[in-house]
Amino acid sequence: MALRNKKRVYAAAAVLLLVVVLVPLSSLTLMGKGAVRDAMAPAQRGSTGILRRISEAWSAVCGFGGMLEKNRDLSRELVRVNAELSRWRAAEEENVRLRKALGFYEEQSGQIIACDVIGRDISGWWNTIRLGKGKQDGVREGQAVISPDGLVGRTTEVTAHTADVLLLSDPTCQVSAKIERMDVFGLVRGAGTTLKGEPKAIIEFINKDKEIRVNDEVVTSGLGAFPQGLHIGYITHIKRDDSGLFQQAEITPLPTIGLLDYLFVVPSVEREVAE
Amino acid sequence: MKRRALMLFLILLGALLQQLLPGISLLGGMKPPILGAMALFHALHKGTPDLWIAVFFAALLQDGLSGGSFGPALLSFPALSLLIYRVRSEIFTDSLVTQMVVGALMGFCTAFAIGVFHSALGQLSVEPRLVFIRLFGALLLGLVTQPVVARVLLRTEALIPKWREARRWL
Repeated sequence: MALRNKKRVYAAAAVLLLVVVLVPLSSLTLMGKGAVRDAMAPAQRGSTGILRRISEAWSAVCGFGGMLEKNRDLSRELVRVNAELSRWRAAEEENVRLRKALGFYEEQSGQIIACDVIGRDISGWWNTIRLGKGKQDGVREGQAVISPDGLVGRTTEVTAHTADVLLLSDPTCQVSAKIERMDVFGLVRGAGTTLKGEPKAIIEFINKDKEIRVNDEVVTSGLGAFPQGLHIGYITHIKRDDSGLFQQAEITPLPTIGLLDYLFVVPSVEREVAE
Repeated sequence: MKRRALMLFLILLGALLQQLLPGISLLGGMKPPILGAMALFHALHKGTPDLWIAVFFAALLQDGLSGGSFGPALLSFPALSLLIYRVRSEIFTDSLVTQMVVGALMGFCTAFAIGVFHSALGQLSVEPRLVFIRLFGALLLGLVTQPVVARVLLRTEALIPKWREARRWL
C-alpha cells in the first residue's frame, strides 16, 4: 500500500514537472525566474564585489591603485557627456529636418540609469550579462545599455531588482543602424564570438549602390526605441549578401569587449507629434 | 538538518561560482557544469529525499539564472539523476573513471537539452558548427568538473563530525 502511494506521489510530481516545463507561459516563466534572480541578486552582487575587490587590490599592488578610482570617475563622467552630446547632435539634426517639414516631432527622454554588473549567463549559451537594477529603479525591457565606448546591448528580462542585457554579439540581438559618414541605413545583428573570444556582428541590408568602406563608423539610426548616434563599431570587412541585392559588412562591436563593472541604461526615446 | 542546510548552501555557492567563472572561448564559451556535477554527486552518494531536494534545487538555480524559459535543467537533471540512482549499485561510484563518464554524460545531456529546447522555442539562434563545438565542450568540461566537485563535496561533508567534536570540547 505504501509503495503504491509512493508511486502515485512520484507520478504526480513527474506530471507537474512536465506541465511546468512543456507549457512555457512567458508571464509564469518570468515570475519564476524573477523570484530566483531577485533572491540570488544580493549573493551575486556580493560575490562579484569580492572578485572586483580582489582584482582592484591586485591592480593597486601593481601600482595603479590611485589611478583606478580616478579612471572610474572619469569614465562615468565621460559616458554622461557622450550620451548628452549624441542627444544634442541628434536633436540638432532633427531640428534641421523639421524646419523642412510641415509637422514636427518632440523628443522626450529621461535620466540615464547607472547600473552595476552583478553576473553573467550561467550556462554559456547566451551572450548576456545581469545588471543589479530592475523595474523598481526604472529599468524597462528593450532599453539601450551603453558603456563609455558605445552601445553594449539591450535589456531583455527585467525583474524587480535585476535586468538581463542581451549583448550586441548575440545572434538574437538586432539593432537599426546607419553608417555615420554617409547616412546609409542597415540592420546590425550579432554573430556570436570567435574562438578567440572576440565578439562579432554584421550590418545587413545596406543599399548595394552605396560605396561603404572599411573603418566606416556604424551608429544607431534612431529608428525604434534606441536614441540616435550611439557608437556600435567600425566596419572590418564588406561583401555582397547571397541574393546580390544588398551589401553586408562585418563589424567588431568594440563596446562589448572588456566590459566595465558598471553600465548605463538609456531610457527609450518617446516621440510625440506636436499639434 | 544541519547536513541538509550545508548541502543547499554548497549548491548555492556552486551556482555563484559557475556564474562567476568565465566561459571558455575555445569550447564555444561554455562554462564548467558545477550545478550538474553537484546534482550527480547526490545521485551517486545520497538517498531520498536528500537526493531529490538537491537535484531540484540545482535545476531550479540553473534554469532560473539562465536565459529563456524554464525547462532544460528541470528535465535533464532529474532524468539523469534517476538513471544514475538506479544503476549506482552496479558501478564503482567512487572510481575516477565512473565520475568522469557520468560527468561527461551530464555535461553533454544538459547542453543538448538547452540547445534543443530553446532553439525549438525560437529563443536561441546558433550556427550548427558552434553547436557542435559547444556540445563537445560541455562533454569535456563535465568530464573534468565532476571528479573535482565530488572530491570537494566529500571533503567538506567529512568536516561536519569534526566541527561537532570541536564544539563538544569548547
